Amino acid sequence: MVGTTSAFGLPLLAATNSSIANPTGSSARRKWGMVIDLNRCLSGCTVCLEACRKENNVAFHGDKRWDIHWIRKVRIRRKHSAGSTEKSVILLCNHCENPPCVQVCPVKASYKRDDGIVIVDHHRCIGCRYCVIACPYNARYFNFKENREWHNKNYPKRMHGVAESCTFCAHFVDKGKKPACVDACERINIKALVFGNLNDPASDISHLMAGNPARGIREDLGTKPKVYYIGL
Amino acid sequence: METNFETIEGRSTQFYLLMSFLAISAAVGLVSSYLMYSKGLYITGMTNRVPWGLQIILAVFYIGLSAGSLVISSLYAIFGKIEYKPFARISVSLAILFLMAALLSIILDWGRPDRIFVPFSHFNPVSMFSINPFLYTVYIFICFVYLWAMFREKEKLVRIIALIAVIWAIGVHSGTGAIFGFVPRELFQSPLLPPSFIAAALSSGTALMILVIFVLFRLTRRALDNRLMVRLGKLLAVFIVVAMYFVLVENAYRLYLPESRKAAYYFLFGGFHSSVFWYGMIVIGSIIPAGILFNPRTGSSIPWIVLSSVLTVFGVLCERYLIVIPGQTHPVDLFPNMEIVGSALEEGIVNYSISFYEVLQAIGILGIIGFLFVLGLRLFRLLPTEAKISE
Repeated sequence: MVGTTSAFGLPLLAATNSSIANPTGSSARRKWGMVIDLNRCLSGCTVCLEACRKENNVAFHGDKRWDIHWIRKVRIRRKHSAGSTEKSVILLCNHCENPPCVQVCPVKASYKRDDGIVIVDHHRCIGCRYCVIACPYNARYFNFKENREWHNKNYPKRMHGVAESCTFCAHFVDKGKKPACVDACERINIKALVFGNLNDPASDISHLMAGNPARGIREDLGTKPKVYYIGL
Repeated sequence: METNFETIEGRSTQFYLLMSFLAISAAVGLVSSYLMYSKGLYITGMTNRVPWGLQIILAVFYIGLSAGSLVISSLYAIFGKIEYKPFARISVSLAILFLMAALLSIILDWGRPDRIFVPFSHFNPVSMFSINPFLYTVYIFICFVYLWAMFREKEKLVRIIALIAVIWAIGVHSGTGAIFGFVPRELFQSPLLPPSFIAAALSSGTALMILVIFVLFRLTRRALDNRLMVRLGKLLAVFIVVAMYFVLVENAYRLYLPESRKAAYYFLFGGFHSSVFWYGMIVIGSIIPAGILFNPRTGSSIPWIVLSSVLTVFGVLCERYLIVIPGQTHPVDLFPNMEIVGSALEEGIVNYSISFYEVLQAIGILGIIGFLFVLGLRLFRLLPTEAKISE
């Protein structure tokens, strides 16, 4: 598939760790998605955010203007009712069926794999930031500043000047593992994040979707997000 | 009446001073661009919530100026108004140069300008950012042929190419409007943006041509028929009104529909950009110049026409700011009826302030095209010996 290998294969790294380069290839029979059960999610908990940042070397500079968040937690409450209870919502790339970021990318650096995962090819991205503009979910970020830290040497970090966002940990998914955030949530036995194949009626995620009214954020925009929420 | 063209002499001290000044500006801008490229764009005023800043505002502004100046040449080349022939070559040269300025602004604004050739090898036919560079480069090519035909005095060819150039220019400017108009953000999304973009292009381009003609003829002590300036001023007045009409319809539409009313309020009364709108664009940039030009007394006085042209150019610059910035600072409402009270990212309404580096970069780009323009005047017969209406 076009771009799949180059997306992750920083050439240097791909040479040392070829498993990153998606040996099996993505399949059209699979359609990866995520359900976030807000009723299970703990309000003060950040294990998924930390797991993501560590696994994917997501840049944190300590400045809201340039920090990158592949996954983030926001607190929301009903408008014009100061006393109402707050709710925590986890936001990440929705891996839309109709991704605006893919539509606007002038060089097809932003693309959607056959299995629905939306990825940026950091070796092709010219840094025009049209995708950051077009994404209604504020899920696409630009590397304004060089990321000095490199925690996980098994995964590339990005140079400044290119865009990036959540990949559903495609490098794990392609090896049959779960994304780092989902894994972290399962480890502490909360299981608020459920990841799986939406095309497989026997998968956990399909069961969960069938039994609960789950919906995506701003589905009216026509983007067809594949991250669904229960209890929003 | 035969129009004769000549080069400027270009031997005076002033000429060399001007050229040195432009060259130094260009160098400063290139140094600033290099710093952005090597350190990262965090040294600019742009952020993850406002990823497009001054250079995009100016790119859009330059593209408008390019179209508008081309229109002046079409008065002669398409509509056969021979009295405008003296301005035709300058107008096409400016159309080329401003488009180059726009392309430079966009490319130098990329995070990876070293990947300049990637868009040529990987084309995405549904991206406005892919369609536009194609439209722009072909447009520059058409303009060069147009200019060549003018130099050869091939009247028939000039006519045909002028028509192609104007039609292509409509594509270029609609495409540029669509960069914003076709993106699903409340203050961007609008089918009216492409035509409104053309209207503002016509007014700013005509105003700029009036200024360039005035300055060039003054500096080189050439005879300029005042009646030509008055006629251009009248044309400008009409363009200003048309541009204002589009702005009126767009805002009325947004205010009228409940789903976009909040965004409309933010745009019209929501902070600094609202002052830019009311004072910069509406009062100083549109109402005052239109008033001056429609008034029979001031509308036929050269200093007043020049003043209103300055104001119009300023007004359209404000308009370009208002296209690019508020659409970004106003967020998409992710949770209707809810508000975000805490986040690691800047949510809600944010601010953008233009940085020093971006201003230097912009000065540099103007320096480059200014240098090329003056050099063009020196090397090619672009300037007429005089501009008179034949009786």
